Amino acid sequence: MSPLASDRAATVFPVRALDDKTLAARAEAAGVALRVDELRRIADACGRDPTIVELHAFDAQWSEHCSYKSSRHFLRRLPTEGPDVVLGPAEDSGIVHLGEYDGERYGIVIAHESHNHPSQVVPFEGAATGIGGIVRDVLCMGAEVIAVADPLRFGRVEERTSHARHVARGVVDGIAAYGNAIGVPNLAGDVYFHAGFDDNVLVNVVALGLVKEREIIHSFAPPGAQGWDIVLVGKATDPSGFGGASFSSLTLDAADSDANRGAVQVPDPFLKSVLMRASYRVFAMLREKKIVAGFKDLGAGGIMGCSAEIASSGGYGAELNLDEVNVALDDLPAAVIAVGETQERLLWVLPPEATAEVLRIYNDEFTLPAIAHNARAAIVGRITAEKRYVLRHRGEIVMDVPIDVLTGSVRDELPYVEAVRHEPGGNELPALDVEALLPQVLAHRDVASREPLFRRYDGVVRGTTVLPRGMADAGVLAPIAGARLGVALAVAGNPRVGAIDPRAAAEQAVLEATRRVVAVGARPIGLTDCLNFGNPRKADQLGAFVAAVDGLAHAARELGVAFVSGNVSLYNESKEGRAVPASAVVACVGAIADIGATVTPGLKRAGSPLLWIGSRELALGGSVVAELLGIEAPLPQTDYAAERLAAALVRDAREAGVLLACRTVSDGGVLTALARMAFDARAQGRALGAEIDYGNPFCEAGGYLCEVSDAGALDLTGVLRIGTTLAEPALIVNGTRFEVDALHAIWSQPLSEVYP
Amino acid sequence: MSAPRIAVLVFPGTNSEDETVRLLRACGGDAHLVHWSRADTLAAYDAYVLPGGFAYEDRIRAGAIAAHDRMVDDVITGCERGKLILGICNGAQVLLEAGLVPGTGPARRPTAAFTHNAPQAHYLCAHVYVKLVIEPHRSPITAELPPGAVVPAYAAHGEGRLAADPAHLREIADGGHVAFVYVDADGTPVRAPNGSALDAAALVNREGNVLAIMPHPERDAWNYQHLDRGGRTDPLACSGGAALFASFVAAVARS
Repeated sequence: MSPLASDRAATVFPVRALDDKTLAARAEAAGVALRVDELRRIADACGRDPTIVELHAFDAQWSEHCSYKSSRHFLRRLPTEGPDVVLGPAEDSGIVHLGEYDGERYGIVIAHESHNHPSQVVPFEGAATGIGGIVRDVLCMGAEVIAVADPLRFGRVEERTSHARHVARGVVDGIAAYGNAIGVPNLAGDVYFHAGFDDNVLVNVVALGLVKEREIIHSFAPPGAQGWDIVLVGKATDPSGFGGASFSSLTLDAADSDANRGAVQVPDPFLKSVLMRASYRVFAMLREKKIVAGFKDLGAGGIMGCSAEIASSGGYGAELNLDEVNVALDDLPAAVIAVGETQERLLWVLPPEATAEVLRIYNDEFTLPAIAHNARAAIVGRITAEKRYVLRHRGEIVMDVPIDVLTGSVRDELPYVEAVRHEPGGNELPALDVEALLPQVLAHRDVASREPLFRRYDGVVRGTTVLPRGMADAGVLAPIAGARLGVALAVAGNPRVGAIDPRAAAEQAVLEATRRVVAVGARPIGLTDCLNFGNPRKADQLGAFVAAVDGLAHAARELGVAFVSGNVSLYNESKEGRAVPASAVVACVGAIADIGATVTPGLKRAGSPLLWIGSRELALGGSVVAELLGIEAPLPQTDYAAERLAAALVRDAREAGVLLACRTVSDGGVLTALARMAFDARAQGRALGAEIDYGNPFCEAGGYLCEVSDAGALDLTGVLRIGTTLAEPALIVNGTRFEVDALHAIWSQPLSEVYP
Repeated sequence: MSAPRIAVLVFPGTNSEDETVRLLRACGGDAHLVHWSRADTLAAYDAYVLPGGFAYEDRIRAGAIAAHDRMVDDVITGCERGKLILGICNGAQVLLEAGLVPGTGPARRPTAAFTHNAPQAHYLCAHVYVKLVIEPHRSPITAELPPGAVVPAYAAHGEGRLAADPAHLREIADGGHVAFVYVDADGTPVRAPNGSALDAAALVNREGNVLAIMPHPERDAWNYQHLDRGGRTDPLACSGGAALFASFVAAVARS
């Protein structure tokens, strides 16, 4: 029985009369992912069989996607508090304190999500709606959206006709089409290519917002909200995105991709652009009139999920009339109106005296009905004191359940096996032929220039960009007009390490994301994570997830930075049921007190000392060169005391005014970092190079490569001086000479074939 | 008499309005946003700036629908009365589609367009330099720039290639309508990164009161936007691309 065919929305779905086997078959036929035990729990909580609408409401609300039922208890291990935290992971986005300007405290809103399964099925639309959704998460905190970022994990794209290449192109085009149109700069991101993503791409998205801390709008009905209006704003509800929440909680082979195309939402960045600007106007009006309201993005579970959560998190119930919802088609079934995931919609909880003005701003001043078919803002219900969730449709009550059962926590205690730590033998370092290897490393798909990809993104709209994407390890903005305050954003998460050791990869993701922010002269103030893992019902795959959470928690505690927002994406598997490489993707936000002191990575002058600050452990595990040579090697161990010292030394060098340039040592090792610093100088018309002498220039143990003007000004205990900059565009490595122009050509080429 | 007022037009889909107003004000202009639902207020302004974005979703061709928006009625009337008009990126596309630039045909009968980049027809975001190739006083908008001024900017568009039939292209070239061309940092001409005919980055109309420029000077107009090109000491000061805005504002003040 398809819900689209079932017109009688109040029709009950028989649970109590059926035996387990029949019930399971009926549930599958109805297209819901709820298990038999969950269906029986729902019937017990309602005291009767659920209606069709209730069935689909619980299916969305209790999906892994909404409820985090198999992951939430592990996420409590993450540190979420600290002096920079304004709002931890409780609402649609987290908020960290950036600084003060002109008597105001400013917060940076950050959200991080995945859109993996939709992007695998329909790459352009899946990725575009990923950007669309993350932008709403930030907007609904009352913030101006100031940047997006896109950590991407693609399969092997070398073959011209491969599906993986088709996906890799479609995703980038979708992100570009959406982000460029709404006018939010793409500030950061990374991309890795790995066979483990051939069947299941990872599309993570991050968005930043700017908000005055006393003007934050929360995603719950405020105190005293009983009787207030529930106002739905945006695109007309249509059948797209029906079942999206449960779709993303299935593995892709279970979810036949043709059958699931309808579960993917349709992006409308044009409407979003207008919605954002209209919402900014509403924020200003509410501030001026000192009105407190609730505002929330519609995501998984559609109108039902959003209205139920905004009401219940304020301690209320809600009653909505689905006939008041602006729809794109007549005769949409109640279940589709209630839980369909049509894009570009938001929901306000407003005191009745504010409603008319809000409707006027959206509908008349910003003319929503003229922007997209039947788009508008409309009152669809009200907040109730009684803690029930009630939906009416065509004169019938089609849903009436205790709201806390609907939105309350569901938990699956699934068994897992502890992930085995990687302990290879053979600590012997191979002799490395630098002359042969450097060109291969620079042309490696994980090292080669990303410019062919990100030049399709608008990185400078809004006019606030200080360091656009690709210019440094982190992107930097000056988000507040007239202020010297800057915000830095970087992402990290290396699947080569993830495929070897989930915990080590998670730790390294935290380390590298924070280093990238430190390298541009910022102080890390907050982290987000997106945990992209396999099937939690497979004990080894859940074990990898748990190990990664522990790795994130350990690294964040050691570095004293909190996680303020995050997301979990499970069921990322190949067709054969192998999990994708463990991918704890981390984003780090940094604060810069004076944008004039931002550090850039291009070499600045000849004759400067080059210092490698930080860990230099000679371990090649997980490195590009280990992959090129086909060797198994130990992973670098992390010394957190050394890591903290290194960050402090980089900061001291900057404050002493002797830090000329800086890059982190990551993919491709210290020699790659050096080559890129020469490329960065070349891009600005400075023909510079360097001479270095170092035995293992491809090790990816971390740390910073710094050009300083005066090493004497620093305490260099434990710091290695590996070389000196040259007045000619050449790299001389242990006596072997490379021309910077030739290396640049090698590094620039590979991805331009995929992204011409 | 009060200072001349500049309207920055916001169509549905415009996305660069805030930074455009901010820079105009920093250059001394009395600039205000005017949204499409307030088109009735436009006639009272003394000059118009059409900022970047994706007006009406760039349906049909970038700028084609916006050129028929009610707001453009006032822009056309203003043009006839000699008001100064500056279009940037999407705003430039609208001015071409409205037939105001190069302005050799009737209004709303375009003789040239900024269309899909070539050879790769995708969106391109890249730092560029453009050089003034008309005599500065040919247009009041460029009058304060030195001859041959090189202005930094960002190209950020998917449809920035000047295209017209051979006769109209000849008209553009011979009529001195190409105001800026793409160059390198030293001012040496380079091929347009978007395949633009005549390597044109900006066009001006015959009367000189309408300038349509594809790259965004407002995105490289503050010191913080080019720290390593002398921007560190006073990161919040105007520089670079602000010169064109300052020249425009000065012309508005004279008008």
